[in-house]
Amino acid sequence: MVDLKVEIAPGVILRNPVLTASGTFGYGREYADYLDIAELGAIITKGLSLKPKTGNPGVRIAESACGMLNAIGLENIGIDSFIADELPLLRALGTTVIVNIFGNNQADYAAIAAKLDQVEGISALEINISCPNVKAGGIQFGTDPEAAANLVAAVRQATTLPLITKLSPNVTDIVAIAERVAAAGSDALSLINTLMGMAVDLDKKQPLLGNVTGGLSGPAIKPVALRMVYQVAQAVKIPVIGIGGISTARDALEFLLAGAAAVEIGTANFINPGIAYEIVTGIRDYLEQRNYEKVTDFIGSLQ
Amino acid sequence: MYLFKTEITENRQLSPSISCLRIKAAEDFCRKAAPGKFVMLGNDNELSDPLLKRPFGISNWGNDWFEVVIKIIGKGTAQLARLRRGAAVSVNGPLGTGYPPPTCATCDNDNETLILVAGGIGIASIASCLLPVAANRYLKKPTVLLFGAAVENELVLLDEIKQSTAGLRIETITDDGSSGRRGFVTDLLKNELENSTALTFACGPEPMLKSVQQVLRSYNAQGYLSLENRMACGFGVCLGCVQAIVGNAGKGQNAKVCTQGPVFAADEVIF
Repeated sequence: MVDLKVEIAPGVILRNPVLTASGTFGYGREYADYLDIAELGAIITKGLSLKPKTGNPGVRIAESACGMLNAIGLENIGIDSFIADELPLLRALGTTVIVNIFGNNQADYAAIAAKLDQVEGISALEINISCPNVKAGGIQFGTDPEAAANLVAAVRQATTLPLITKLSPNVTDIVAIAERVAAAGSDALSLINTLMGMAVDLDKKQPLLGNVTGGLSGPAIKPVALRMVYQVAQAVKIPVIGIGGISTARDALEFLLAGAAAVEIGTANFINPGIAYEIVTGIRDYLEQRNYEKVTDFIGSLQ
Repeated sequence: MYLFKTEITENRQLSPSISCLRIKAAEDFCRKAAPGKFVMLGNDNELSDPLLKRPFGISNWGNDWFEVVIKIIGKGTAQLARLRRGAAVSVNGPLGTGYPPPTCATCDNDNETLILVAGGIGIASIASCLLPVAANRYLKKPTVLLFGAAVENELVLLDEIKQSTAGLRIETITDDGSSGRRGFVTDLLKNELENSTALTFACGPEPMLKSVQQVLRSYNAQGYLSLENRMACGFGVCLGCVQAIVGNAGKGQNAKVCTQGPVFAADEVIF
């Protein structure tokens, strides 16, 4: 039996390298009918803010060729409601829990991180500095290396939990931001968040999405994500988690080969809510057939 | 909920742009079907285009099959509507919260009429209160179907409904007068509410539902609306389909159309 364990941040050892991406897996329990959540590497919650957030008005999703645009706007129940109502259920599912956090400003991020520092059952935080669909916070930190580094440093001060910083692809040089964020104390990186895009309703002569622009995800973005993961994994010493259009075990294996220590499954969960576990078994089968003893021997072995 | 691969057993074309697919399903699935519930349906070609499954109301079901009615709107619906017998599809369902059972507190009054209001392809959802054997209990009330569409050939499923519900009163209306009266289905609804105490179920395009809500309010009548919003997942995680509602039990203003709906009490929807 191939050993699928991976360490995605100091002390954060997952049973396998398959995580579910923030915003595509709710708070976990929504998937209980479709797969055994305890069999996944970890689940990353919907992005959480200090106060509940209603998100964007109007049309929020649009399909495009092999992909989808979303402009949800980080609707969420707020950190207090998460801790009180959702976290106990999530912990009962027996999986590793990583909480995705975001705020309007540095103080918000630090306050959430400090709050979660005191809570049992959370293995790491994923800092969202890359949501393209909100006016304040999110991507404004993720597109400026200086602001990103300052934010990570502030969150680092506020918590002892391992930190994963989720990077935006909507930048000129993702490697430069990755290096600054690593230097500022992030324990790992995850990339990529969605690519900013747009859809138009031709007949109405209007933008299709209420927010005008949205984030593109799905198989359409996989080559961009793979390229960025490869470049960043070459440049930084901390673990890199690959995200972007992963829909099959082979997709996931390509990211691992390119240097990702683990992968997150996003949009594919919507289409097949059982896919994350299918990818775990697919990775296991592939590596066993090729006589690997452990997945870490395969990771980064691109020639 | 069940996620499964299955096949089309029949494709009946109901109009140039509307098809009814009969799909094989396990008994467990069929037992959980109920009026107003829906499925997410996708082709099984693994080409990722179209990428997402599409939501369709379950219009009818038996022991080992169910039906959906598909109107061609874009590329995804066009592909599904043209699938032939034997074609593989992928299904997630039954999903959502459907119409209240006829024994619920709000519709206990045996003297009241059940008014079913369908606009266009909204008939697919309304038919789930009429066609399935399991839905017969709705018809213990005096029931009337008010069906409006843009043109005559979009008044689909009427023959099947007449066959399965002998004696059901049906009134049709079209935007262009090509069948029945000329006008909107809400004109028919006003007439009904003038004459009786009624519970109304309605499904159709948003402008129609908005107008149904206004009519119900003006007659102080109770009703339920089945909404159709874009959704990526169908089971409460993507938050693409949310609808503003009142009194969402402290959960914020947004309700998930896929899990808390698609059927909502008419009064709680904020259009």
